Amino acid sequence: MGNKSTIILVVLFALLIGVKKTYYIVTEGEQVIITEFGKPVGDVHNTAGLKFKKPWQKAIYVDKRILTWDGDPNQIPTKDKKYIRVDTTARWQIVNALEFIKTVQNEQGAKARLDTILDGYTRDVISAHNLVEAVRNSNAITKAIDAQRKIIIDRKAKGEFVLEEESSSDVELIEVGRERLSQLIAEAADKELSALGIKLIDVQLRRISYEASVEKKVYERMISERQRIAQTIRSIGKGEKAEIEGRLTKDLSEIQSKAYRTAEALKGKAQGKAAAIYAKSLKMDPKFYEFIRSMEAYKKTLGSGTKLIISQDSKFLKYFK
Amino acid sequence: MNNKTPPPEVEQILNLISKMKSSIAGILIPLVLIYGGMSAYYTVEPDEEAVVIRLGKHLENNQAGLHFKIPFGVDEVIKVKTKIVHQEEFGFRTLNTNSRRTTYSTRNFDSESLMLTGDLNVAEVQWVVQYQISDPFKYRFQATEPEINIRDVSESIMRRVVGDKLVTEVLTTGRVEIAINVQKLMQEVLSRYDIGIRIKSVKLQDVNPPKVVQPSFNDVNAAKQEQEKMINQAEEAYNKIIPEARGKAKKLISEAEGYATVKVNEAFGDAERFKELYMEYKKAPAITKKRIYLETMETVYSRFENLTIVDSKIKGLMPIFSKGGLSGK
Repeated sequence: MGNKSTIILVVLFALLIGVKKTYYIVTEGEQVIITEFGKPVGDVHNTAGLKFKKPWQKAIYVDKRILTWDGDPNQIPTKDKKYIRVDTTARWQIVNALEFIKTVQNEQGAKARLDTILDGYTRDVISAHNLVEAVRNSNAITKAIDAQRKIIIDRKAKGEFVLEEESSSDVELIEVGRERLSQLIAEAADKELSALGIKLIDVQLRRISYEASVEKKVYERMISERQRIAQTIRSIGKGEKAEIEGRLTKDLSEIQSKAYRTAEALKGKAQGKAAAIYAKSLKMDPKFYEFIRSMEAYKKTLGSGTKLIISQDSKFLKYFK
Repeated sequence: MNNKTPPPEVEQILNLISKMKSSIAGILIPLVLIYGGMSAYYTVEPDEEAVVIRLGKHLENNQAGLHFKIPFGVDEVIKVKTKIVHQEEFGFRTLNTNSRRTTYSTRNFDSESLMLTGDLNVAEVQWVVQYQISDPFKYRFQATEPEINIRDVSESIMRRVVGDKLVTEVLTTGRVEIAINVQKLMQEVLSRYDIGIRIKSVKLQDVNPPKVVQPSFNDVNAAKQEQEKMINQAEEAYNKIIPEARGKAKKLISEAEGYATVKVNEAFGDAERFKELYMEYKKAPAITKKRIYLETMETVYSRFENLTIVDSKIKGLMPIFSKGGLSGK
């Protein structure tokens, strides 16, 4: 093959490249901007498929999907001066590809802007609120506490034994709540980001944790709270034991004294009845009764071994003289 | 390509092409055909679904089986495991499930599992999220990192739900409720993202107080045991003494009743006897009385050990009636 064939091959190759330059493919999840010598031409192409362009035009691909932003955990003091680490993530989307490439060029550029904007607003919002606002989402916890207290009261009213285990400290009520805080961050950031062609879908407060030094104190508090509960339980136990012991003494005395009382009453009644019976029959001849009873008494009381000095005048010895 | 007015050069080119056809094309064309034929079909496994993209555009989803496609990069096929239940673990990682015993990573995932409760305590919560890809196309083309989104949302929602609970609820009674709420709220958020994910379940694994605090929690349990023991002991003492005392009391009363019966009956008896005697006595009072006197004296005196009869004329003797003897035993 001579020079000619080489030329032909080059031409063919150039043509092929030329053809390739006349079309582009927009894949699902992508959007394309056509630029002519660096200047954007026409609308953003955001429907998928095969498209055509002039060979000297350039296709710039921009992601259309949801992108993830992961922030560095920040140490932020809350309004009530508690140091916490806040770890946020956000989801964002390029909604205005033209603005996007003009202002931040690419995702790396966007990330840098997202970092400053989102970190800033996270700091603003968290430090403008108390810690509980970032922890709790509602005041449902107070309902839970009330419900628990009610159960305890009810059960106590029924005389059941109940263990009060909950921390008695009242929980602080919230006004805003965690979800709303992340919305506040997102809303504020979204306003600024829209100028960059970015829509912020949401901000999630992924993790909120105490600073190491605060954490230690919290653990100490948890420990002391548990110890207090354990102490209470033990002392309740002792109290309960004393109560039972007291009841034992009381019941015992009651049983014993009641029995004594009943027994004595029974005896007294019987004695009374007996007395009445005696009186009724003995009334017939008191003197005779006196005589008979004396005789019986002599028989009973004067036993063997008795020594008696008796006068000769005794009736018994009437015939002895 | 233009060939309106073929100059001699072009003629030559055409000749050359026809020559090349016989040589290069003779090898190239079959090769291309073979490659095309090989890449014109694909199989989809039973646990997968295939998303077909033709020239960048979503064409269709194909289920398990053999399918054809246009080769040379026209059709792109993305296989997604839609039937499999995927699992994300939080606060721990399963290392190996092949051996007889499942092993877990010993690495520390505290930052994942430690979270604040509503009463500003800290709990260590481990959980798993199981999900399925309900829409493979959305899963692939709606978000760049769907797995990361699931993890982020799960961590955020779990903390939100736990943040509305007391630490004791989290550790004890609240587990089921927490899992249900997390699943519901996660699904809400993920549905908003529209990334083709369906949460199958959220399950809480180990839920504990932080390790440093654990001994004091155990101490509370120990205190509960002690308390129960104390109460039991006291109850035991009570149960040992009181029933016996009740029995004794009953005995005392029964004895009194017995005494009463005896007393009354004796009274009746005595009264009856007296009555009978009196009836007889009335018939001959003097002689009966004398008889009784003498009989009594007889019985009494016969028992005496020592009987001193004193002349009534002797004065100055102290009238002593003695039982038990003067000499004093």
